[in-house]
Amino acid sequence: MKTRITEMVGIKYPMMLSGMSWISTTKMVAAVSNAGGLGILATGPLNSAQTRVAISEIRKLTDKPFGANASLMFPGAAENAKVLLQEKVPVINFALGKGDWIVKEAHKYGGKVFATVVNIRHAKRAEDYGCDAVIATGQEAAAHGEDVTSLVLVPHLAENLKIPVIAAGGFADGRGLAAALALGAEGIAMGTRLMTTKESPLHDNYKKMTMEKEVYDTLFSKRFDGILCRVMKTDGAKRAMKRGLNLPAAFFNSQEIARQIGVPYFKLFIGVLLSGWSNARQLAFMANAFKAIKLATEDGDIQKGVLPVGQNQGLIHDEPTVAELFARMVVEAQKAQAKVNAALA
Amino acid sequence: MYNTAITKMFGIKYPIICGAMMWLCKPRLCAAVSEAGGMGNLTAGNYETADEFRAAIRETRKLTKKPFMVAITLLPSVRITPEHHKMYVNVCAEEKVDGIEFSGTPLDKVAGMEAVEMLKKAGVKMFHKVGALRHAKHAEKIGFDGIYAAGIEEGGHPLNDDVTSMVLTPKIASSVKIPVVTVGGIADGRTMAAAMALGAEGVMMASRFIATKECEVHDNIKQELIRRQEFETVIYGKSIGLQGRGLKSKVLEEVLAIEARHGGFEELIPLLSGQKVKEAWETGDVDYAPLMVGQSIGLINDIPTCKELLERMAAEAGESLAKANKACNG
Repeated sequence: MKTRITEMVGIKYPMMLSGMSWISTTKMVAAVSNAGGLGILATGPLNSAQTRVAISEIRKLTDKPFGANASLMFPGAAENAKVLLQEKVPVINFALGKGDWIVKEAHKYGGKVFATVVNIRHAKRAEDYGCDAVIATGQEAAAHGEDVTSLVLVPHLAENLKIPVIAAGGFADGRGLAAALALGAEGIAMGTRLMTTKESPLHDNYKKMTMEKEVYDTLFSKRFDGILCRVMKTDGAKRAMKRGLNLPAAFFNSQEIARQIGVPYFKLFIGVLLSGWSNARQLAFMANAFKAIKLATEDGDIQKGVLPVGQNQGLIHDEPTVAELFARMVVEAQKAQAKVNAALA
Repeated sequence: MYNTAITKMFGIKYPIICGAMMWLCKPRLCAAVSEAGGMGNLTAGNYETADEFRAAIRETRKLTKKPFMVAITLLPSVRITPEHHKMYVNVCAEEKVDGIEFSGTPLDKVAGMEAVEMLKKAGVKMFHKVGALRHAKHAEKIGFDGIYAAGIEEGGHPLNDDVTSMVLTPKIASSVKIPVVTVGGIADGRTMAAAMALGAEGVMMASRFIATKECEVHDNIKQELIRRQEFETVIYGKSIGLQGRGLKSKVLEEVLAIEARHGGFEELIPLLSGQKVKEAWETGDVDYAPLMVGQSIGLINDIPTCKELLERMAAEAGESLAKANKACNG
């Protein structure tokens, strides 16, 4: 295939992996890149030393372009982003924050920077400070979308930006790929679809549930991690939403995070408090969400785990390899296009 | 020449259908859309007696020889009763209208299978607007001719399954045999091409048709739709079990505030009255009543005639397809 994104990054298919904590790991990233897409490493659960090791592991597993993400709202994310820059990672995808400094540094070595956005304001700002593409996240996406859906957001951004738009949210097959391209996107990002592939490290319990659950089996609320977040509708998720912010749990879970990212807990705690109450509350929310997502993805805990998924889980019924999926999607997209070409001739 | 299950069913040029809009889908706009090569809409709820409703159908027929849809909403309301619903169905059968867009409760549950049979015998094509596969399957089972698959982005009353068009259209299109029309998020040729790539045989638009020369609404409203962006609509009414999407406005902020403090139905009713909506359309005061438009308003930038709009959409759809084709075959 050939789009501005395949040309920019040097990949075969304009399809990228969303950076999903505990799923978009080194092997998964390499699998997606080796299959002709763009793998994105999720650095959320990693400290800077682990991030550096992960990058070198990916480089052993693939000689194809790949990327890594940085969710700037999380503690430790800026340090991870610095590692990505030092390691000259080809594509850096940042979200939930201002990444102008990342753009500046990445461009020095020819790296590309993609900003994840949910509306035209964020997208314009990202373009203004030099991002190379935006990832437009529709309401239907897993985790952090906002109200506007892909069908409306993608064409609106595509017509108002000069940089390419990558559509995220609702894409699981070739029909969706063809639709995204028709809307003016230059590529798509997939999380839910790619986490249900043979190479994905997602626990089997949740792969199975993703294949069984329907398009309406998700919850979309601020009560899971403090900002709008879409997760699989399970008893565990319903309980988490009902409970809302659990501060004592946040205290314990944030200690675990401190251990994980290699920051003394005292430093993290003070840092968070100094960031203001609303941010501290946000991070407390995130600390609990972090734990629940880990329980789902790694342990397959169907009681306490919570898994971010998109509405497109209802379109997913199998577990192909990544290479099978991409090849099939291109054929499906061409078939969908042939049908529309004939209808609209 | 376009060739989809919908253009063939009605013998029309473009698979573009106008959706129901209370107070706006009257003979003039309806005929303008049909004359432009799409399918206009005459919304039954505008008329309280059989005579008025029949007169409106005949008036439309004087304005156009081309086919048009009638919209019947099968939901309980203060003004429109179950008796009205039956009257609308009877008049449609007698007048042998081309097609009906039903929304709300399934027709067989409101008026029995005899109503379905009567319309079939009269040659009326029946479509049900749904937000879920289960409802589409029911419509198919009782003999409907097509499905309007309505995503959460639509203005009006999207189902509280909250599924978006990008996901709902392929879900339904791959699971029923009758044609699917995408509703919600459609405003131009790009979105139409996308819907068809997802498996739709046509598209339905409502908000887009408000900002056309032929729509009989105050000019302020048309200008407002050009100004406002896709994130300037809100979902309200969840607390009373009938969610709606409308333009962000003072009145809907008030509605949401009442809902947030668990205010009752009685407090909300005066703010949501249909009569006030009629006045708002006429006076152009967007803050006076809930104006039910969808996220597609972010894609509206001008006030064309219906003919200009449909011709442009066809050209845009062709261009965006050509670009997508090139990407996939490059």
